[in-house]
Amino acid sequence: MEITLTHYLLLAMAIFLTGMVGFIVRRNAIVMLMCVELMLSSVNIVFAAYSRFHGNADGHVFVLMNFAVAAAEAAIGLAILVEIFRRRRTVNVDDLKALME
Amino acid sequence: MEGILFWVFGSMMFFGGLMMVVQRSAVVSAVWLIFAFVSAAGIFALLSAPFLAVMQILVYSGAIMVLFLFVIMMLQGPVLEGDRKRLALPLWPAVAVPPLAIVVMIVGYVMRNGLTGMGGPAPEGFGSPEHVAGLLLGKYLLAFELISIVLLVAIIGALAVGKDERKLPWK
Repeated sequence: MEITLTHYLLLAMAIFLTGMVGFIVRRNAIVMLMCVELMLSSVNIVFAAYSRFHGNADGHVFVLMNFAVAAAEAAIGLAILVEIFRRRRTVNVDDLKALME
Repeated sequence: MEGILFWVFGSMMFFGGLMMVVQRSAVVSAVWLIFAFVSAAGIFALLSAPFLAVMQILVYSGAIMVLFLFVIMMLQGPVLEGDRKRLALPLWPAVAVPPLAIVVMIVGYVMRNGLTGMGGPAPEGFGSPEHVAGLLLGKYLLAFELISIVLLVAIIGALAVGKDERKLPWK
């Protein structure tokens, strides 16, 4: 069977939903951040698939932008988590309900 | 050939993501995520985007995941033991229903409208470093420069958050 655009879109959907469910289910803030990375990655697949579909590489540029955004997000998110861990000795989101304690 | 590779890389990436979600230990989750990202590089290569495939390995599997692993190992004790309690049972339908609704809608749409083709073979040199660099430094030069500001702000922000507050220059 020929692989079509729809196949890639369905794959991206499945991976995005995996990340989404993981983000809701997991209580460890670091794993939640990793789920966000997985969702961003599935969006990159959609960009690349449509780029290939239209024979226009503009989508590749935006995948590169997405890489930079993901790196920035990971750096800031992890810095915040380290700071939270220093103060509260936990990164379990069930223990981090109040904004100010 | 493309069909076989698509199913191999696609199922590997999906499996990697799934294992990341179900593993209790954060380190094991991170390693499964690296597995998923390496498979994503394979998907990019299939989509005639060799430059993106290389960048995926370098940036995601190389830089971002190493950062994650470093932080997990730095915070060891409480993080490594994983989630302490499972999600309460009544919450499971609330978690499962929205994704299922999305799956039903999209699969229904595909069954009704059929598959979209792939739009013919890719042009010569499509997605090569030269091609992408031409766009990046031409048509999208402004976005390229702005993303460097985003990264600079992220560096300064991470430093400011991570540093001891009393030693910050503006205190």
